[in-house]
Amino acid sequence: MAKYLVQVVIENKPYINDPEGETIHRDLVVKGGYSNVSSVRSAKMLKMVVSSKSEKDAEQTVKKLCEELRIFNPVVSDCAVKTSSKI
Amino acid sequence: MGVLTKHELDYLERSLKRKANETEQDIVGAEWSEHCSYKSSKNYLRQLPTKGIRVVVGPGYDAGVLDIGNGYVITVHIESHNHPSAVEPFGGAATGVGGVIRDIMSMGTRPIAVLDALRFAPIKGASKLSMKSRWLFKNVVKGIADYGNCIGIPTVGGEVEFDESFNDYCLVDVASIGFGRKQDIVANQADVGDVLVLAGGSTGRDGIHGASFASKALDAENRSAVQIPDPFLEKLLLEATMEAIRAGCVKGIKDLGGGGLSCCLSETSDSLGKGFDVELSNVNAREGGMTPAELMISESQERMLYVTSNEKLPALKSVLDKYEIRYSILGTVQEHQDLVVRNSGGVVASMPSHLVAHAPLAERSSRRPKYLDALKSVKRPAVPSDLGMAFLSLLADPTIASKRWVYNQYDHEVGIRTVIKPGMGDAAVLRLNTDDKLVAIKLDGNSKHCYLDPYQGTLGCLSEGRRNVICTGAEPIGVVDHLQFASPEDPEVFWTFTQAVKAIVDYCNFIEIPVVGGKVSFYNETAKGPIKPSIVMGTLGLIENLSHVTKTTLSSGDSIFIIGHTASEMGGSEYYEYLHGITGGAVPKVDLEQDRHNGDATLKVIRDRLARSVHDCSKGGLAVALAEMAIAGRTGLRIDLDAIPNSCKSPDDLLFSESHSRYIVATSKPDQVRSFLSSEGVVFDQIGRAEGTTLEFSKGRNRIVNLPLGKAEAAYYSLEETMK
Repeated sequence: MAKYLVQVVIENKPYINDPEGETIHRDLVVKGGYSNVSSVRSAKMLKMVVSSKSEKDAEQTVKKLCEELRIFNPVVSDCAVKTSSKI
Repeated sequence: MGVLTKHELDYLERSLKRKANETEQDIVGAEWSEHCSYKSSKNYLRQLPTKGIRVVVGPGYDAGVLDIGNGYVITVHIESHNHPSAVEPFGGAATGVGGVIRDIMSMGTRPIAVLDALRFAPIKGASKLSMKSRWLFKNVVKGIADYGNCIGIPTVGGEVEFDESFNDYCLVDVASIGFGRKQDIVANQADVGDVLVLAGGSTGRDGIHGASFASKALDAENRSAVQIPDPFLEKLLLEATMEAIRAGCVKGIKDLGGGGLSCCLSETSDSLGKGFDVELSNVNAREGGMTPAELMISESQERMLYVTSNEKLPALKSVLDKYEIRYSILGTVQEHQDLVVRNSGGVVASMPSHLVAHAPLAERSSRRPKYLDALKSVKRPAVPSDLGMAFLSLLADPTIASKRWVYNQYDHEVGIRTVIKPGMGDAAVLRLNTDDKLVAIKLDGNSKHCYLDPYQGTLGCLSEGRRNVICTGAEPIGVVDHLQFASPEDPEVFWTFTQAVKAIVDYCNFIEIPVVGGKVSFYNETAKGPIKPSIVMGTLGLIENLSHVTKTTLSSGDSIFIIGHTASEMGGSEYYEYLHGITGGAVPKVDLEQDRHNGDATLKVIRDRLARSVHDCSKGGLAVALAEMAIAGRTGLRIDLDAIPNSCKSPDDLLFSESHSRYIVATSKPDQVRSFLSSEGVVFDQIGRAEGTTLEFSKGRNRIVNLPLGKAEAAYYSLEETMK
């Protein structure tokens, strides 16, 4: 079976605030002179190496485990799963 | 949006003598939600005794204020964040802490401690429900710890109870106490022309309809009211607020909580007796395109409203600038008595503040629940052949077991005030930086008792709270109540609420202790049905002298006394519910006269320095109370059960009955204690001694329990294992 590197990105839903991103934006980016940057959002990324028969199947496994094991809380966060490469 | 009932909309439009537009309906809908308006409970809460020599500010404000002498005050408040915590335990619990801290700040005092009372479904086992419950429990505790630890306010105590009526749900009550100078209590007065300043976090679409969300039962679509905590911003707000008060540049403060700007502005305007004219385009909005209604009812966290004069505005601005807190000039104080809301100049809502702040009260009918009779009597279980094993199981019952797993996650020492820390005594005790005084505080609840008998159960919570602060050497000086039920529209649920209020009225009038604040939370139910009535009482005590502070730690060689009578009152006991799976039977009754008498005598014993350690009997009864003292002191004990004043039918009742008004006193001066208690005329007896390395209980010649201390300890500290 082939191995796939699957990336999971978990971030707060767009209408929910993000103190970390906001602080980086306010205290580092804008104060550092990059006033053309209008927003920073933080997220958590997990990289999982999955043995699977296809890219689609690897993504499905990861999606399922994220939901089942409460890797993220669907009430607060959005979770995006994407295969970055075949290893 | 249909947030108002037809009756309420009619009442609103009759009062306005015109149609209310949609924005106005949303504003009023937020404020008239059960959560903000107390429309079902207000009539009953009026009966609570709220006066007392120490009471400076009673219920109805952000926090109660008690005078402790020499120009100092303590403030106290309790809030819950049940619905948000049930869907997002970490953020929900954390923002709950943030909310109650802001209430304390709003009075002009510095928050010095946080306590939490938590209720979850059972956590043992591998079922889906218990896994969910462990997930909720773990993350709620994390959320409280994270917020408190970040902001530098110690979480000093609380209690946790597990019961199946909280399946798929949880109750998260947070209390906070503050300390300050009486002269700094914000007077909340304003003059025409004064300025309204909104400071802190941006206003976003999070928590829209939070207050109305909390006023509904939880269902799947109803889960938008989630907020993300930002404790660092709260810390900045706290320091800025304290500095602004010292600099004399605020005339009024109000935190933004449930109902957002709608509640904050209408209530402040109404209590000041002055109108407000606000401009919403000045609000620091998190995202574009927010409607006036969304801006008005958003419950975004970490926001405060300040009222200041034009002359002091520059000083307030410079304080906020110093802490890099964003703020906006929201509007001005007006001669009229209306809340006028504009958006880019145009008026979008204009209503009398008094009308907005005073919802028409809801008439609720009440009926004694049918289940009460069915559960009145149950078949008593057979006495277990091995009472030692039963005892051991009870010590490992998560409701009884040490909550070390919880409080080890909390910073309970930051601020270096904490004298009695979690696990050391019956209540948290904190040093105040005035003379020799200390404050004791404890939260107590018992959903199992309150379910079987809401009146006696609530009396029990009050009695337990009083006992707990007395055991630390404190004189009880005030209580706060948190009343949590399912839907008030259900007459049977509402009846349990009326019984709880009646119990508080009766107890507090008799003991002469004022209610200084509280909260009512209805609609705590899930698809599976209503929760058990969950009354949580917070009791405050004052210790005048450091040498009066008393712990529960037993010392080897000490003589052990019990004050109070033990009866076979097993309904709702942990012994019945947890060990035998029995729900029903008569719950322990509080004899008010005896309760006062036993408590007063115990306090005198402590203040005469006759007692080395004192502990009350509550969940798990006498046996558990003694085990807790022995484990804390790492000593065995020998108890003669026949010496205990009792009317019990069997030895298991004697060991595990949760009869109220009982205190265990350990002393190195048994003769003096005996003669003192005799002269006081209380029911008491000497029941044993701290010695050896086992917990030994005998009846006549029979040693019915003989448990090695190590085994008891392992069971008592088993929560870590359960939560692994």
